[in-house]
This record gives sequence, C-alpha cells and structure tokens, in this order.
Amino acid sequence: MKKKILAGIMAAALAAASLAGCGAKGSTDTAAKAETTPQKAEETEEKAEEKKEAKSEEQVTLRLMAYNAETTRATYLKYLEDKFPNIKIEFEFVSQDNFDNILNTQLQAGEGPDIIEVGGQTKLLANAGYLLDLTDQSFISSYADAGLQPYMVDSKIYATPLQSWYEGIFYNKKIFKDNGLEVPKTWEEFIDLHKKLEEKGIKAQTMGAQSYEPMMKQSIALVNNMFYSTEESKGFDEKFNDGEGKLEEAWLPAVTEWYKIIEAGCLTPDMLGLSYDQALDEFATEKAAMWECGPWAVETLKEKNPDLDFGMFPIPGPDADKPGWLVGGPGSAFAVNAKSEHVQEALQILEATATAEAQQALVKDNAGSSFVIGVEVDLGDLYTDCDEAFKAGHVYAPWTAVWTNGNAVTEGYGKSLQEVLAGTKTVQEALADADAINDDLREALGN
Amino acid sequence: MKGNKRDKIYLFMILPAFIGFTGLFIVPTVMSFFYSLTNWSVYSQEIHFIGLRNYQKLFSDNKTIAPILHSIKYAVLITVIQNVCAVVLAVLLNKKSKAANFVKSITFLPAVLSIMVVGYLFQYIMTSADGGLLNSIIMFFGGKPVNWLGDSKIALYSVLITQVWQWTGWSMVIYIANLKSIDSSLYEAANIDGAGPVQLFFRITLPLLHPAASFNILMSLIGGMKMFDAVFVMTKGGPGYATETIMTTMIREGFNSGRNAYACAFAVVFFILVFTFSRVITWFLDKWEEAIQG
Repeated sequence: MKKKILAGIMAAALAAASLAGCGAKGSTDTAAKAETTPQKAEETEEKAEEKKEAKSEEQVTLRLMAYNAETTRATYLKYLEDKFPNIKIEFEFVSQDNFDNILNTQLQAGEGPDIIEVGGQTKLLANAGYLLDLTDQSFISSYADAGLQPYMVDSKIYATPLQSWYEGIFYNKKIFKDNGLEVPKTWEEFIDLHKKLEEKGIKAQTMGAQSYEPMMKQSIALVNNMFYSTEESKGFDEKFNDGEGKLEEAWLPAVTEWYKIIEAGCLTPDMLGLSYDQALDEFATEKAAMWECGPWAVETLKEKNPDLDFGMFPIPGPDADKPGWLVGGPGSAFAVNAKSEHVQEALQILEATATAEAQQALVKDNAGSSFVIGVEVDLGDLYTDCDEAFKAGHVYAPWTAVWTNGNAVTEGYGKSLQEVLAGTKTVQEALADADAINDDLREALGN
Repeated sequence: MKGNKRDKIYLFMILPAFIGFTGLFIVPTVMSFFYSLTNWSVYSQEIHFIGLRNYQKLFSDNKTIAPILHSIKYAVLITVIQNVCAVVLAVLLNKKSKAANFVKSITFLPAVLSIMVVGYLFQYIMTSADGGLLNSIIMFFGGKPVNWLGDSKIALYSVLITQVWQWTGWSMVIYIANLKSIDSSLYEAANIDGAGPVQLFFRITLPLLHPAASFNILMSLIGGMKMFDAVFVMTKGGPGYATETIMTTMIREGFNSGRNAYACAFAVVFFILVFTFSRVITWFLDKWEEAIQG
C-alpha cells in the first residue's frame, strides 16, 4: 500500500511540474485582456506620465528581452545609459532556441518584458494583441518603409527595425592567399574550392550543424539565388501564408542544387556533432577556412584570435554574371509590450533609437545598414566582397520578411535538413515537412 | 468518541498539504485536460472547444510518436543500467576504509553538479571536432573517431551514458544507507552454513535491499521519462529528431510554436504514461516483496 501511495505521489509531483506551464492563466482571461489592450495602454500611458511628473527623479527599470547577445549591443546600451540617467535597462538575453517559449509564457502570465526584440514572430504577437501599436509615434517617420514592412499588420506598425542583418560565408583571407584561391563566383566554384582545400589537407568549411540554423540558412541562400531573384517568385510568400504556395514545388530545384554540396562531401555528417561555439572556434583558430555566419560573431572571432585576417562573401548561385545572395533582411526590431507599466519610458527608448547617434552605436558592435533615413553606415573592409550583393539588394530571408509562422517552419525545415545530411531523408521530404508544419500551424492558430 | 476527535485533528493537520496539492496539482491537471480539448493558443484571441482533435493530431504525427518511444527506451535503459551499477558499487564500497570513503565521494560528486554544466562539458568531451577529448583518447589507442552526439543511431545513448555517470553515485548512496541497516548476524549465520559470496548477495543482500531498490527504480524511471535538460544542452533533440524526448517535443511543438492546447494534450498523455509505468513497476515490486516475505 505504502508503495502505491509513493508511486502515486511521485507520478503526481512529476506531472504537476510538467503541467505547471500550461495551467496557470485562463485563456478566456487572455482573450478578454487582449480586447481591452488599447484602453489599458492609454491608461498606463497616462499613469506613467503622472508618475513621471510626480517623481521625475525616480529611476525606472525597463526590461528588454533579446535574442542577440548583450555584447552585440554594448555601445548602444552605454549610449542609452548616458542619455537616460533615470532609466535603467535590464538586458535579458534568451537564446533563439528558447526565446518564443519564454517570451510567450511571460506574456501570457502578464509579466512580459517592457521592450521585446522581435523578428519572425511579430505578426503572431501583434495579432494576439501583445504589442503596442506604434503607427502614430513621431519617430516612425524617421524610418525607411523597407525596414518597417516586415513589422506591419493591417497597415499598422508594431516594431521599429534595428540595423539590417545578413549572413554570408566568412573566409580566412590568409589561407585563401597562401593557396592561390579566389572568392567563388558560382555555386560550382564554391564546391570546387572545398575540393582544392581538402586536397591540401585543409578543412574547407566548418559548420555547427548541431543547430538547425546553418543548413537552413545556407540552402535558403540558394533559393534566394535561383527562386527569389525570378519573376515567378512574386507573391509566393503571401501564397505560402495562405497555404496555397508549397515549398516542395517552388523551392525544390534550388534546394536540390544546394544538396550538391552534401553529395560532394563538403558538408559531412560529423558536423551534426558540432555546436555553433565549436564551429566558431574552428574558424577562429584557423582550423577551417570558411564558416557561414554573420556580423554578430565578429567581435568574438577577433577576441579569440586578434590576428585573424578574414572577410565575408555572399553565397553564390549558378550564374557567374549575377552577384550572389546573402540571407538576411531588416534586422530584428524593438516592439513595446502593450501591457507594460512603463510604456512612456519604453517609447522614449524607441525614440532615441531612431536617431543617427543610436544607429551608429548599434552598428558599431554588429555591422549592418541602418533603416533610419539619412544614416550612412560604413560597414568596413570585412564586407568588401559583399558590396555588389548589397548594391543589387541581394539580401532576403522570407521567414522574417513575410511568413506568418516563420520561426516554427524554418526550425522544422532545418531539423529535416539534419536528417538529409545524416542520409535518412531526401531534400524533397524535408521541404514537404516544412509545408506540413505550415499547414498544421495555419490550422491550429487560425491564421 | 475519542478516536473520532483524533481523526479530526489528523485531518486538520494534513489540510495545508492537501490545499497545496489540490491547488498546485489537481486543479492544474484537470484544467490541462480541459484545455487539451480546446484550440487555446498564445497567438489566438479566440478559444473554442475542438474535441479530441489535438489527440488525433498527436497520435498521427511521427514527430510526436518517435519522441514518446525515445523517452520510454531511455527511461527503461537508464533504470536498469543505473541501478545495476549502483548496487554493484554499493556492495563493493560498503566498507569502513578511507579508500572506500574516497571512492564513494568521487562517485557521488557528479550528482552535485547541475545537469546543464555536465551537459555542456560533455558536449565538449564528446564533440566531433578535432580537439574532442573522448575521440582523442580513442584515436590514441588506434581507434576511429565516433560522432557521439551527431550520429542519429547513437546520440540518445551518448546522452544516456552521461546521465548514468552523473546519477549512479546518488543511487549508490541510497543503496549503501540500506545496506547499513541489514543485520550482520544474517551474514554470520549464512557463513556458518557455508554460503559463498555470490549466494550471500543473491540470498541476503539483494532481497533486503528491496526498500532502497523500489525507491531508486521509481525515481530513475520517472526521471528518465521526463528527460529534458541533458538533451536540450547536448543535442537540442537532434540530429533531426533523433534525441527528441516527450518533454523537448512538448516544449517545441507546444509552447515554442504557441499551441498551448496541443502542449496540454501532450502533458495529459505524458501523465497517463508515467502513471501507468509507475503502477506496473509497483506491481512488480509488490510481487517481489511478497516473494521475499513468503
């Protein structure tokens, strides 16, 4: 009998722990709250103003939840600290893998951060009423439309973009020079480059394929080259949102072309055992000649190896005449939690972010172009090989630009590509998986 | 009359625990069950009843079936391996010597560390990169490097090994505490009757370890079923879906993608699975106890 009770209690304790996340707040509650959001926001705005007048000296703490590390925002945070002595910014870094989970739980419990770094999830959050409508704010006019586009729902703006993000191939200039190699102009040349390096006993490309992201992004770069640069892609992403466009049909030729890199043995199954940090180490310590990543890794690379001489080139397509493509777009953006108690202060931060000074501070730690009109950014020598691609506007990431269920679909697609690399799935099956996830979510979330 | 009053006092004494248990477990469980029948989502402002559709989806999707099987396989294996190792260690180390105490401490030490720390360390030890410690050792002895965490056929077992390493010492301590309570006169009597060490172990030690064994077996089984952190740190459920467990899938498919109701359905299935498993195990343990007493 005792043991039965023991077993019962243990099962109970365990299930309680696992269920704690789902049960706490009623959903009807959420719906009701969402409806009253605009009024509430106004109320809090008023309250915040009153408070400010009464105790202007008092320090306000704002929580900023972000998936880009604090080091990539260091100069900018310092700038804010100097500009607003009465606002203390508590920077909460949550890795991309877990970001939506933690953010959603906090928002549902009514305890979300005041300022949220958003990307692919913006449309979903805005539809659910969690984000403050920024359309009428004065600083919105400082931004170019291209930067605001991904953060618009029903012609209302819910977030303002930080600097653009892009991902290409970092290459070790010294290794390239010593071996008489040049930046590849076509995908074929890129694969040949691997072979030439491997022949000389040099590891050509390293990849932290333990994460679903790198293969997902690299293959999408080929899709950019072969599909999104053509007329037939016009309106495809919107159709994908509606469930009419299917990746399995539209993307297949491009992803099949990408797959040649696996067939040629340039990406190998042991990369599935490498993490992002380990791949970064291999490139930083010059054990590998190439690594696909973006400007956010530059500071860490320089820290690990101050002598590293490296650059970045865009991912080439089949055509040598056209510049290659980078994966990227208007970077992540800042949105304000509609239920924040410090809406006024959060808006002050967003307003300050729209200035040239703040933009330059942002770019300093994480190179990218600015969407604030009139702010010119010098990206530096590191990205000279990407110049043509930038000029041609060859930077795109469909899942943050247009897709409604971008994060979940790309995660599923990336995980299936891991199975492709392991040899247990075909490219076509991976794309079909991504379509299925999109259909599932469209049905479940009613979008 | 007197007894009745005493009963009331007892009932009153368990009231705080009962309130906590009801509020923190029974109510959320029942609520989860109801939510699992709806389309509740963090991203949707409407909520309505959709019957058993979440369950239908759950049982028709290979992305969720495979993780359930992984969790069961993992739980059974870790229960067997961890307990066998722990009993052997406990019997060998149940001695009053400085050396034995030292080895006991060393064996227990990993249990003090956080799973995240252990996972992160093993990610480096088992990496397929050139500097991986484990592969360097294998290659030193002339072997071929193994892709411990990146090969879908062995990744789950690699995670399992790290957890056996971490928790065997903990189980061992419980077995040792139990061993100390076994009356030494039993061994003396058996020795006089001419029993050898193997007989001593199977006839006296093992049956009398029943209390520690039932606790340890249940704990490792339940711990195995709810495996999340080590997998999350070491493989993120990958490569592909090779090391996804019930918990990692529940977090990804449910919470990450905003489908809370689907996550609730998952939690309900999980609860039923754990409950069933615990009952089956307790049934076997009861039979074992009866056999000992008989």
